[in-house]
Amino acid sequence: MDASPLTDFSHRQSAHCESGVAANLLNHKGIPISEAMAFGIGAGLFFGYLPFIRINGLPLVTYRAAAGHILKQIAKIPGINMYQKKFRDQNQAMAELDAALEASIPVGLQTGVFWLPYFPRALRFHFNAHNLVVYGKQGDDYLISDPVFPEPVLCPAADLVRARFASGALAPRGKMYYLTKAPEVLDRRVLIILGIKSVCRMMLGSPFPLIGVRGIRFLAGRLAQWPSRLGRERAGLHLGHVVRMQEEIGTGGGGFRFMYAAFLQESAEELQDQYLRDCASSLTAAGDSWREFAARAARVCKDRARPGETYAAMAEQIRECAALEENVFRKLEHWVKRCP
Amino acid sequence: MEITEQPADDGITEGLKIVSYSLNSKGEYELVPGLGWQPVNVVNHQAWQEIEKKIASSREQVTAGRVSCLHYYMTANQMDIGLLARYTGQSRWLVRLHLVPFVFSRLRPDTLKKYADLFQVLPDDLVRGELKTPIYQHS
Repeated sequence: MDASPLTDFSHRQSAHCESGVAANLLNHKGIPISEAMAFGIGAGLFFGYLPFIRINGLPLVTYRAAAGHILKQIAKIPGINMYQKKFRDQNQAMAELDAALEASIPVGLQTGVFWLPYFPRALRFHFNAHNLVVYGKQGDDYLISDPVFPEPVLCPAADLVRARFASGALAPRGKMYYLTKAPEVLDRRVLIILGIKSVCRMMLGSPFPLIGVRGIRFLAGRLAQWPSRLGRERAGLHLGHVVRMQEEIGTGGGGFRFMYAAFLQESAEELQDQYLRDCASSLTAAGDSWREFAARAARVCKDRARPGETYAAMAEQIRECAALEENVFRKLEHWVKRCP
Repeated sequence: MEITEQPADDGITEGLKIVSYSLNSKGEYELVPGLGWQPVNVVNHQAWQEIEKKIASSREQVTAGRVSCLHYYMTANQMDIGLLARYTGQSRWLVRLHLVPFVFSRLRPDTLKKYADLFQVLPDDLVRGELKTPIYQHS
């Protein structure tokens, strides 16, 4: 069972695990694509404030689509076939992985970060939707292209089994996937338009007040009330949590806004469209506004708030983010409608 | 965000260089390696302080004999009763029961082994009530 490493799998470091894996797998199939492009085509951008889902007792704030969304969108592209499987049995899951490696197929896996020994200690939380690509085996260690790491890493088999069968929210249940078929060329134009359309619908057209631009405003309203409702200490924890979700590894900074702006910029280049380039700059402004909020929030968390840096002021900053984003997505919506 | 705003702080990534999107001088996005951003380190530090506070209080409770050492291992590995129950394939109330020192000291070897395997310690450590480091601090 000693599969030699596929030397031809090129590892590229990316800012986000799922889009990184998608882009790396497509590249391996001979479709050159950047991470930002995979993120955009996969309609990865989102906003949701879901206080009824708790992470360590803190409300869920997400700046991107649900885990697995990008891969699902990519798998739907005409001409692309993706093999996907979940397992009950751990031995069978590992045997199938080994069999695929033996056939020189790089395999994408969903894993729980807590069990991956090569991760920095401080990042080993119980987060179960981390994607990576296994592309070889050396003795008892697997060769892994983990998109958030600069170089490929090694992981012992025993640890990889644990990571693949992590329990809790979003349990991966050994999920593995690989591309079986890919077209010669992608019809980028259509895919870009569809991707943007889907994100516009999520950000502007949601009937639920917790999602999209409305969700951002909802968060602003709640955030302003935190100190009086939760007390100073709990409010600080909630605030820190919002920033952590926004700037954590894998967001590319600014809660994925910069990554999406990079996608818009690349699309503008691809389609020779100045309008999209302008949208990209507007979205960059929104990302910068989020960053400004994060910087202020961090000072408040550290008890080093400058005069005027109150929760009310931060809520105002978030409302500005909402206004900027609404503006961008209205413009994009308009652009999509104009495109035949 | 522009490239020049990239910080130079070791932060919590232990020197792991991550990449993020930044604008270069031509106003085009580039993937730029960096060590994380100061505000992120602040909030991550805050989160870890909270976890360490919980671990310290659990340690105290174990030494005082109010809960079994299982409580320490659960807290130190950032689990709660629900997650621990899932990992060991038991019901939540059973796990809750095992947090009582009286019950824990009378556990069958196979149940102890389940916990020991999960937390990557020896069953003996659990019996003696030794408080070893959590999994993510094993080298």
